[in-house]
Amino acid sequence: MDYGAYIDAAAATLGLNLTQEQRKGVNLYFGLAASMAVLVQGLPLQPADESGNVFVPVAPQVPE
Amino acid sequence: MSAAGVVGMAAAVREGRATAAANVQLCLDRIAATDGRVNAFTSVLAERALKRAQAVDASPRRQRMKLAGVPFAVKNLFDVAGLPTLAGSKIEREAQPAARDALLVRRLEAEGAVLVGALNMDEYAYGFSTENTHYGATCNPHDLARISGGSSGGSAAAVAAGQVPLTLGSDTNGSIRVPASLCGTFGLKPTFGRLPRTGSYPFVASLDHLGPFARGAADLALAYDLMQGPDPQDPACAQRDIEPVAPLLERGAAGLRVAVLDGWFREMALPEALAAVNVVAQALGTTRLVELPEVARARAAAFLVTCAEGGALHLDDLRRRAEDFDPMTRDRFLANALVPAAWLVQAQRVRHWFARRVAQVFETVDVLIAPATPCTAPVIGTEWLEINGQRLPARASMGLLTQPISCVGLPVATVPLWGMNPAAPHLPIGVQLIAAPWREDRCLRAAAALEATGLCSAPVAALESGA
Repeated sequence: MDYGAYIDAAAATLGLNLTQEQRKGVNLYFGLAASMAVLVQGLPLQPADESGNVFVPVAPQVPE
Repeated sequence: MSAAGVVGMAAAVREGRATAAANVQLCLDRIAATDGRVNAFTSVLAERALKRAQAVDASPRRQRMKLAGVPFAVKNLFDVAGLPTLAGSKIEREAQPAARDALLVRRLEAEGAVLVGALNMDEYAYGFSTENTHYGATCNPHDLARISGGSSGGSAAAVAAGQVPLTLGSDTNGSIRVPASLCGTFGLKPTFGRLPRTGSYPFVASLDHLGPFARGAADLALAYDLMQGPDPQDPACAQRDIEPVAPLLERGAAGLRVAVLDGWFREMALPEALAAVNVVAQALGTTRLVELPEVARARAAAFLVTCAEGGALHLDDLRRRAEDFDPMTRDRFLANALVPAAWLVQAQRVRHWFARRVAQVFETVDVLIAPATPCTAPVIGTEWLEINGQRLPARASMGLLTQPISCVGLPVATVPLWGMNPAAPHLPIGVQLIAAPWREDRCLRAAAALEATGLCSAPVAALESGA
């Protein structure tokens, strides 16, 4: 997939002026992030899986 | 002195058989003799350290100080009073010097330890190799042509080189466990939220951990115990009482239910890593295999959280002065700043899901075994590795086996083994001993048991002249 249009729009929105040299690397690494996004979006989740953006390590539910 | 451990060194000073000043001077001498080749240190604080050591020697509390006269050093993302907190960057050289030491530095010094310097790292902790363009690569003390690992490469190398017996580092996706593996030291990444990060430069706030490196499990446990305790300045730090582990090490691995992680953790490991796991499994008396679900997705979740938070943190500098970033990190940070919110939120949800599934596994297991790195240390400059039939970027791949574990904040002790790679028997490789959240005692008990068998050890690198 070509993310060029998204990269252009997002960079402009955020005020990032990418040079030609930087743009090559950004394409590569944004593509890598996109491949990771495919993985996380491929896991079917329920509303109860909402993290609330607060993470607490989960201890096992067994008596000590 | 370079071979002495934390526990023994502190006991000698408490009992008057050694002095803090002599310990510090020996460390300074070792640093002077070796750091031109290793490049672990970015600052050596000789004047401060000698002054502090004299104060320890003169203190009426000396005989009660648990770290009396123990020299240590910290990754240069820890605040050190009077120094700008570099976090491996050129940009932060312009920052105001820190007004006070990081909280963990203060806690160690309150028990008589003596800070001697700050250590090299990947820029802003974003890397697994410590090939830092601004400050040079930190070389592996056991083979100077090879990487030390990262991002806490200086922290591992300084211990492996015998420059100091104790260091602190940080671990977001593997940055304690990877360099500990490649440099052949013991390392502890505590549970997420266990140790306060107050006074350290963040990378990814929802994944950052701090922890120690040393040359043995008892040394790790002692330092870790003295750093425990909540701090309201770090909102991620759990409000838990101190739970000392050092007194529990003598129990060894007796009674611990141990299993080897299968699936991803074997598929993404080269033969030397699998050999190390097999040695540890045999020593701990297990043949049981368990598999965690959806590990690749968990790793992807950690990857995206890292992207989004790391990119956002540096957005202002990326706008104003992108050319001042290390070329090793710059384009990644720029790309990361563009990651959409929906990816981040989904990554956090996957992380939460995975934590629940992992907790179920720990209902019947106390310690999980996995390699810390896919292989022994690559040569500096290595770009690609072949793992599981795939050609993968070498630097990022060093974290393949650590990232899914820190994603859900589990405590891990990393233990070093030797001779697992027949083509390079002089190189170490680490094994992760992983426990349920808040059970650092179990990781460290297993580590201590393995150390007692002699299978795991952290010898000081010879670093003979010209080595």
